[in-house]
Amino acid sequence: MMDKAAVVRIAREEWRFWLRSRTAVAAAAVVFILVITSLVSTAIRIETEREARLQLQAIAEETFRSQPARHPHRMIHYGHYVFRAPAPLATADPGVDPYTGTVMFLEGHKQNSATFSPRYTQADAGPYAFLSPALTYQLLVPLLLIVVGFACLARERETRTDQLVFTMAVNPGSFWLGKSLALAALAFATLVPLGFVAGNAWLQGENGWIALTFWLGYAVYLLCWVFLITACSVWSKRASTSLLALLACWMVLNVLLPRIASSAADAWAPLAGKVQSDLEIARELRDVGDGHNANDPSFAKLRAQLLAQYDVSSVEELPINFRGVVAEAAEEELTETLNRFADRRFDQELAQAELANAFSLLSPYLALKSFSITTASTNIGQHHLFLRSAEALRFSFVQSLNKVHAEVLTYADDVNRSVDQQSEQRTRVDAHHWRVLEDFDWEPASVSDRLSGSLPFFGMLLMWALAASILGWIGTSRGAWSQDG
Amino acid sequence: MNSSPPKPVLTAESLTVDRGGHQVLSGVEFSIAQGEIFALLGGNGAGKSTTLLTFLGFVTPTSGVARVNGQSVHEDIKAIHKQVAYLPEAANLYPHLNARENLDYFLSLAKADNSRARIDSALDMVGLAASARDRRLEAYSKGMRQKVGIALAILRDAPILLLDEPTSGLDPVAIDEFNSLVVALAGEGTTVLMVTHDVYGACQVARHIGLLQKGQMVGDFRASAGNPISADEVHRKFTESHL
Ligand SMILES: Nc1ncnc2c1ncn2[C@@H]1O[C@H](COP(=O)(O)OP(=O)(O)OP(=O)(O)O)[C@@H](O)[C@H]1O
Ligand SMILES: [Mg+2]
Repeated sequence: MMDKAAVVRIAREEWRFWLRSRTAVAAAAVVFILVITSLVSTAIRIETEREARLQLQAIAEETFRSQPARHPHRMIHYGHYVFRAPAPLATADPGVDPYTGTVMFLEGHKQNSATFSPRYTQADAGPYAFLSPALTYQLLVPLLLIVVGFACLARERETRTDQLVFTMAVNPGSFWLGKSLALAALAFATLVPLGFVAGNAWLQGENGWIALTFWLGYAVYLLCWVFLITACSVWSKRASTSLLALLACWMVLNVLLPRIASSAADAWAPLAGKVQSDLEIARELRDVGDGHNANDPSFAKLRAQLLAQYDVSSVEELPINFRGVVAEAAEEELTETLNRFADRRFDQELAQAELANAFSLLSPYLALKSFSITTASTNIGQHHLFLRSAEALRFSFVQSLNKVHAEVLTYADDVNRSVDQQSEQRTRVDAHHWRVLEDFDWEPASVSDRLSGSLPFFGMLLMWALAASILGWIGTSRGAWSQDG
Repeated sequence: MNSSPPKPVLTAESLTVDRGGHQVLSGVEFSIAQGEIFALLGGNGAGKSTTLLTFLGFVTPTSGVARVNGQSVHEDIKAIHKQVAYLPEAANLYPHLNARENLDYFLSLAKADNSRARIDSALDMVGLAASARDRRLEAYSKGMRQKVGIALAILRDAPILLLDEPTSGLDPVAIDEFNSLVVALAGEGTTVLMVTHDVYGACQVARHIGLLQKGQMVGDFRASAGNPISADEVHRKFTESHL
């Protein structure tokens, strides 16, 4: 039924037309330069970042562990830094990274939020948020395809050359398919550099299936545009109508709907404001005793319990340092409260993301965006994983130090250390205790989680491509034969 | 002619066509035999081009049928296109391609022989200067473009030719050459339906002329054995019908 030779010939002829048209060549040149520039610059930045962060992480760990002998509680306040090393595919799609912060200061009694390395604080949304390769492919390459392809069928219809083609016994379907093939080949050509990036991510340790799926998602997305463009060109009587309609499509799908999606997400799943939740946290923490003050009435129950357990009448007689025990208990209670708020915030952020995801059905751009960050593991869920891992590390080293405080120091020394030089000396525990700090190694989501998470979006992209091709096909069989349209 | 007429290749059976909400063909009837040259004459907007488009299936009649070799055009458009070569009214080829590239492209789509030698011999036949053949059509004059269009129609080697004003834009020498060419093709059995405004040229080549006015056949002229159609008679009728 489908005439392969004719389809290929029609596609080749369309390429010849483009190559002989200055607009098409110029547009392609500009977009290719932008693609390459964004890929190279982002790759260099992220690679530098990754190395820097891994190095800084090692330095931070080394610095903590090599602190001299001192009071364990001072180490809790000395704190520690963790850095989020970018995922290999962040070179293609940095996702939420530029907005969420990548460095976190871990200390006792506090959950700090992630910030940026100081050298980037002047850049508002991080260094590589602007024109990432992902954005280039999501926004600019479709524009290139529109500029090059809007007239592929409408032009022939306007000059009636389509009729001459059909009188060569060419199916209108083959004609449409040939034009789509030509445009798909152009889309594919733009995807070659992205292929290198995905391949490189694979060499950097990214899972091969993930890298391939990532690239395929972009391929299907561009295919949606190819079919949208040829469909629009089929249905338009004039090339200018087709161009206008396609630009309107691009505006709605890639600019307007994303705006609406994020406004809707804000409206329907609002995040508690930072000031508001900080106040709430402060209010709740008032009920948690001050871990620095063993005489705080909040710990009376703990004291009574311990005295009973060890069958002694005063804290001085306890075999463990009551101050350390109090610090440990206070930290636990405080952390529980903070985690509750953190979980609430994560849930809100996820609910927002979910709501925004629902809009993916309406726009292939939104579908690809969600697909891309899920596959590349640069989405908000990944950031939460990082935050949770960082919190786990914080809690672990703070409590380990509190345990040292409780078990290695005597209560008497601890109480007298501000008045007695020798007590003070004895409360400085040996530096080997700082080894309690574990290496920060956080596990990003598993390959199967990422693949299954991105699957629905991939499905939506396929649906869009299919719908657009059906639209074009219908237009082909309906309009092609009629001179009067 | 003594023998019974050969079987009709192109038949219009009370063709009625609406375009843009107006009836532009009303019950048009004619029949063209194999090897016959039928010239369709008529004023501007009479419906000549529409008639050709109906035979190509690009315009659908509201009633009546256009038949090619007895088969209704709309039953299998692709089969019709395999037998028909068409020269559009405004010989629209691709301006960004030169003459050879244009012909090569269309012939390859039609799965016809697109060898350079064959293309060049057709361009010789229509008299397109050799120096022009590698220039893009955007730099051609109207007549030069027309010649490429005619070359394409001939190169299709189709048993049926539908030509819309083939001589428009051609110089007198080229018109004469074209007329002999069409006669020669008809002599080989090609059936020709040709729209033209050139009454005298039509009478020279055609043995059957139809006169169309406001979508209706108002005149039907046939050459009798040995005698061509009288141009004066056609001209008179043409002028009368416009009064
Ligand atoms: N694309 C179109 N849409 C609507 N009406 C059309 C269209 N093309 C032609 N018509 C109308 O159909 C009628 C017949 O037009 P047609 O082109 O067949 O005339 P013609 O005999 O070929 O004239 P000419 O000698 O000027 O080429 C005219 O009234 C014209 O206005
Ligand atoms: Mg006409």
